[in-house]
Amino acid sequence: MDSLKARYIASLEIELEPERYELFSDATWRFSPTRREVLGRLGAGVLFVFTAPVPARASAEAKDALSTRFHISPTNVVTLLTGKVELGQGARTLLTRAAAEELRLPPERVLITMGDTGLVPDDGGTWASLTTPETLPAVRRAAAALRELLIDTAAKLWGAPRESVRIEGGAFVSGPHRRDFGQMAELRAVMSGIPAGAPLTPPSEWRFLGQPAGQADGWSCVTGEKQFTADLPAAGMLHGAVVRPRAHTARLVEADSEEAGRMPGVRIVREGDFLGVTALEPAAARRAARSIKAKWDETPLPDFAAMLEGFRKGARAPVPPKPGVRYPALVTKGDAAAALSGAPFRHESTYSLRPIAHTALEPRAAIAEWSKVNGQDFLTVRGGTQAPFAVRLELAEAFRLAPERVRVIAADCGGAFGGKQRGEVFLEAARLARDAGKPVRLVWSREEELTVAYSRPAGVIDVKSGFNPQGQLLAWEFHNYNSGAAGLPMHYDVEASWCGFHAAPAPLRQGSYRSLAAVANTFARESHMEEVAARLELDPVEFRLRNTVDARLREVMEKAAALGGWQGRRGKALGFAANIEKDARLALCVEAAVDPAARTARLVRAVMVFDPGAVLNPDHLKNQIEGAILQGLGGALFEEIRWEGTAFVSRRLTSYRVPRFQDSPKVEVHLIDRRTVEPAGAGESPITVVAPAIASAIFHSTGKRLRSLPLERAWRELPA
Amino acid sequence: MAEYRIVLNGSERRWEAPGGLSLLDLIRDYAGLTGAKYGCGEGQCGACTVLMNGRAVSACITPAEAAQGAEVNTIEGLAKGGRIHPVQQAFLERSALQCGFCTPGMIMGAVALLASTPEPSEEQVRKGMAKHICRCGAYPRIVEAIQLAGRLQREARRG
Repeated sequence: MDSLKARYIASLEIELEPERYELFSDATWRFSPTRREVLGRLGAGVLFVFTAPVPARASAEAKDALSTRFHISPTNVVTLLTGKVELGQGARTLLTRAAAEELRLPPERVLITMGDTGLVPDDGGTWASLTTPETLPAVRRAAAALRELLIDTAAKLWGAPRESVRIEGGAFVSGPHRRDFGQMAELRAVMSGIPAGAPLTPPSEWRFLGQPAGQADGWSCVTGEKQFTADLPAAGMLHGAVVRPRAHTARLVEADSEEAGRMPGVRIVREGDFLGVTALEPAAARRAARSIKAKWDETPLPDFAAMLEGFRKGARAPVPPKPGVRYPALVTKGDAAAALSGAPFRHESTYSLRPIAHTALEPRAAIAEWSKVNGQDFLTVRGGTQAPFAVRLELAEAFRLAPERVRVIAADCGGAFGGKQRGEVFLEAARLARDAGKPVRLVWSREEELTVAYSRPAGVIDVKSGFNPQGQLLAWEFHNYNSGAAGLPMHYDVEASWCGFHAAPAPLRQGSYRSLAAVANTFARESHMEEVAARLELDPVEFRLRNTVDARLREVMEKAAALGGWQGRRGKALGFAANIEKDARLALCVEAAVDPAARTARLVRAVMVFDPGAVLNPDHLKNQIEGAILQGLGGALFEEIRWEGTAFVSRRLTSYRVPRFQDSPKVEVHLIDRRTVEPAGAGESPITVVAPAIASAIFHSTGKRLRSLPLERAWRELPA
Repeated sequence: MAEYRIVLNGSERRWEAPGGLSLLDLIRDYAGLTGAKYGCGEGQCGACTVLMNGRAVSACITPAEAAQGAEVNTIEGLAKGGRIHPVQQAFLERSALQCGFCTPGMIMGAVALLASTPEPSEEQVRKGMAKHICRCGAYPRIVEAIQLAGRLQREARRG
């Protein structure tokens, strides 16, 4: 994997989880081949240029790269530029307020441009809950540096003592002097150097961070003005549709497109296995694509049991990681094998999970347009993506263009959840647009979303533990096959442990999903802990506490048990799970309504205690946690991609069930705000504890131990 | 080609367009109103919900022909005289959304629900909104927002 994109991924400052299969695999399509003028878009003004932090192992070109963070127009508009994008997770609101905090401006005075590769610095993909721990500090540091630079400049200009210059009412003032940001920006000639170590506003003086804030784009959401990709206009735009095989994997053998060819305004594009059409209207494109009779050479899919067997057979042994790797595929402590064989008691169990679909409500969509810049091909694609810079490289590779000749403009996403990290729809729209010579918009159907997109990987996990009669864990051995390395390390205290992720060849397109393998690994770890507690006839919360020294983890567990009514649970279906994930501490106590005859369960109440360190926007954090619980209960109880022969059976929302209003429990979220602790990102971690907590509730009310996700399927398959 | 004629957000509109369009195609591609979204194409997610003669319908599975002469209201026509509707206000107040993709359809569904059930219980909201999907999982907030909107509407009437 020595592609452009692979080099890009390798150059990122941050390690990514190995199960981001969609990022590490080749582009969906590879098509044969056929100076940016971007600053003009923001108008005249000053672009403040800051040198990006350069990772030690970055390539030479990356080391030369500068990133730009703020633009100030002479009309006094301050714009924050970021490579992060808005998916509904609140990055727009949070980053705007962080900049406003340091610039001493009201948040509504700071505009933000997100995810346009022609304008913004590359902040990496919007993934792995990194906006809060990585991008937010970068924005704060840049804003503080800009503030200090402007204060220095004003002091010199007025011959005033530096300490006398303040920012008040959106302007720099000192005695009789006053200049707003726009007027300051006009003075760039006298500015020199960026003050090092500009002080960040301490949490005790925060005015915007740490306060509940509504969403910056809430108004446009409720009025319907917010535009997603499929809502964006383009002059002279055509509409595309792609002809798909019914099978999951297939090669195009032949296609009869005579009927489509006779339709007015329809163009047909075929290259390799790619077969698509363009037409004047979306409905006409769909009709033309449907009329094409294509023959495919289909690859059969193994059934689920055979798939898991294949993971074990094809598994590669995890190798010891390089030091400092964030998501190591192997984490060991002491001699786990010796500790296991020496333990007075041992327990072994195996867990598995089926693949699930992201099912973001907004289907993937892109608008592609080719133009000539200085006589050379230039490709611009707008669309919803979590990773505009990675998609740019995917496009550059597919069309054999220099990356500088591709611009990706990220549109707001209608949900993504890890699913919008590849450029499939961007590539397809661009291929159709190259043929049409006009802008082409391509919007995937729900069926394409469910059958063509990558899914959350299936996996199987073996756990072995050793313990003593007093309820002390002595040994831990944990093998994850195929699903991934996120959430692999053991955070309960044990003298000897071996936790490994075995990568394996997989028959389905698979990739990132909210929190990645941390759902699978937490389900296995927490379920196994409950099983050991049951063998010891210990209260499972008490058993966890006996094996936990982390004070913050103890606190969330104790609090969740108290608030969730754990002590008085007799007669109720209560369940419990806890975790340390992405630096957050969290514990969830749930109550389920369980129907043993129908072998179904419904979540009635969910009490989450969540400690992310500093809380930056309490209301939105709660919103994220509530949403993660709601999303998590689908994958826990009933979501699964089903297939038969060569093709998916789950092709529509009538055959792929997602959580609805009737599935929604009463959710209570309690935050522990530690202002002095670096804040953890929280878009992902809350989803990890949902499945084990529900499994725990089902066990405590029925005695049935369900070891596969989704749980209702596992329950139905249990012998009577 | 066919002629389509609907009263869209209070104004009579006509289009010459190919036969067989859905009401959603007509609203989005001909009227240019993009608040109603395509989410599934089978009436299962509610993202395309609009009001037809006051009733909530899934525009994606409603043939445009079936809307001939009907009064169709979309999210774009909800605010009146520069003031947003109580349901919109309640969604904002409760932050009852994340990405906002389901929101226009969700709000139109809620407007229809409150028209028939002005003071819905939690259970009535869950049942009444059963066909709507919010993948970001803002359901608990949406239930609260719809109940709040009911109270705001009653106050507005009294006021």
